[in-house]
Amino acid sequence: MILQTVFLAFFGLAAIWFAVIVFHTSSMVRSALALLFSQTAIGAMFLAMQTEFLGVLQIMMMATEMAIMAVFMVMYMMDPGGLSGMDMTHQKNLSIAAGVIGTVVAVGAALLVDWGPIAGAPPPEAQVHDLGIEMMERSMLIFETAGVTILTAMIATTAIAIQSRQTIQEGENE
Amino acid sequence: MMPLIVALLVGAVLFGIGLYGALSQTNLVMIMMGVEVMLGGAMVNLVAFWRFLHPEVYSGQMFVLIVMTVMALEMAVGFGIGTGRFRVKGSVEMEEARDLNG
Amino acid sequence: MSTLVVSLALLAGAYLVAVLESWVSTGRMSFAGPARSGLALLGRESISPRQADRVFFEAAPPLLLVSAVFAAAVLPLAPGLIVADLATGALFVNAALAYVMVALVMAGWGPNGAYAMVGGFRFLGQLVGYSMLIVMPITAVAMRAESLLTTEIVTSQASLINAIYQPIGFVLFMVAAMAVCFLPPLDLATAPGELAGGVMAEYTGWRLAAMRLARAALVITLAASVTVFYLGGWIGPVLPLWAWTAAKTLVVAAAMLVVGRYVPRVREADFLAWCWKLGIPLALFNIFYVGVILLVI
Repeated sequence: MILQTVFLAFFGLAAIWFAVIVFHTSSMVRSALALLFSQTAIGAMFLAMQTEFLGVLQIMMMATEMAIMAVFMVMYMMDPGGLSGMDMTHQKNLSIAAGVIGTVVAVGAALLVDWGPIAGAPPPEAQVHDLGIEMMERSMLIFETAGVTILTAMIATTAIAIQSRQTIQEGENE
Repeated sequence: MMPLIVALLVGAVLFGIGLYGALSQTNLVMIMMGVEVMLGGAMVNLVAFWRFLHPEVYSGQMFVLIVMTVMALEMAVGFGIGTGRFRVKGSVEMEEARDLNG
Repeated sequence: MSTLVVSLALLAGAYLVAVLESWVSTGRMSFAGPARSGLALLGRESISPRQADRVFFEAAPPLLLVSAVFAAAVLPLAPGLIVADLATGALFVNAALAYVMVALVMAGWGPNGAYAMVGGFRFLGQLVGYSMLIVMPITAVAMRAESLLTTEIVTSQASLINAIYQPIGFVLFMVAAMAVCFLPPLDLATAPGELAGGVMAEYTGWRLAAMRLARAALVITLAASVTVFYLGGWIGPVLPLWAWTAAKTLVVAAAMLVVGRYVPRVREADFLAWCWKLGIPLALFNIFYVGVILLVI
């Protein structure tokens, strides 16, 4: 129990530290990779909480996701290397206030509520098995909906992002 | 009791940082990163609730899987819109997007 | 104990991969060659480029090595000879290998060089192609074993190895494995002769030695994962069990290296098109086909 708390606190601090770097650094690639390591630390927290499948899945998915994010940052930001030190923020006071209030409310809820006794964790093999059963039995509809949503989003995103035929022809005429 | 509280505190702080980022950044990509940090905090909470309070109910893990899906979709759709916007206006700065305001 | 054995085996395997690689490219088998060039690299000055992103530049070679070692940690050499027999072993291999791409993007962005950056971003494009081809065949393998434990996957192949049971998955996984460790013809990240070394272009001295060691370890890890997932790991007659895994792994590594000698380099756009238009439908068909066999027979 104590060991688990120590590990959770360590990876939690790592996640928070990297999350702060995301908005603190001016280099965009660093920012994206800091987000990646923040999410990896969250995955390590899952592992510390004996939730093996989700932890490994989180660590795997975020690597790809955040690295692709880095490419888009380099594409769309005016100063991807952060060499000229541009200020990329607005409405700072409002944001800080909102962030602090959100944190305080959530911390208050975490500390004030009586959570009751703590349960033991099932072994990892049982978790993988039972999650599969849950996914294919009771939550099948939700799972299928998620799949169809992904497909829809893929098609819609491609449709938005692709260059329209008109623009391509205009480009050829120029 | 302690591990649950620690996990919830981490989740709360991550949520606060993400909220600050999503509100304060001017660039679409950075705003999306703020949202990702917030979702990360939410996932920590979900896993903590599943593990320490109701490990027998696997809907908790299912919920985390759905949140991961939402993160991926949010990114994909966001970048799609960003790409479309960049083609038309040459920037994804939110301050310059007032023309979307009808 | 098994940690020590596995890490020594990994080191020996990486060394043999280096020997094989020089044999493939020069035609001469020299067992002292990699040691000599490694020592020479250690002796040379390690230059760090101007205005580099120091954190990324320094962190990339260790991260590449760490991801290869972590993936190797869940692959069994023989029953009981495994560092961590995770309940999600087959998924963990994917998770560890995803960081290969992160390391290469870091190595590409870090040194502030054009060739390196092109190489890093090319590898990211390559990942979009191969990542599905590495996850989906493993899904079919795990379906047959009814488990994500790598040891279970090996024992499930006792009657028939997966390379014959699901040949489509085997071929797709081989291609994806070659793409992960950026071997020719899929060496878009380094591309000697075209990108002047790509992500490795700006690394010199001991940093380059670390990078090459990491790449050799990656090749041997991928070969070991092909062995475990498709060639039945330690299963085989007469010889001791660990020798079967080692022999199969070396044969797979040699095959991966030799193929690159005779096939021209694939362009990244072509690779993406082939992966998504041909590879993913085939991988889906493979999952379907394995499912039908499992249910019917």
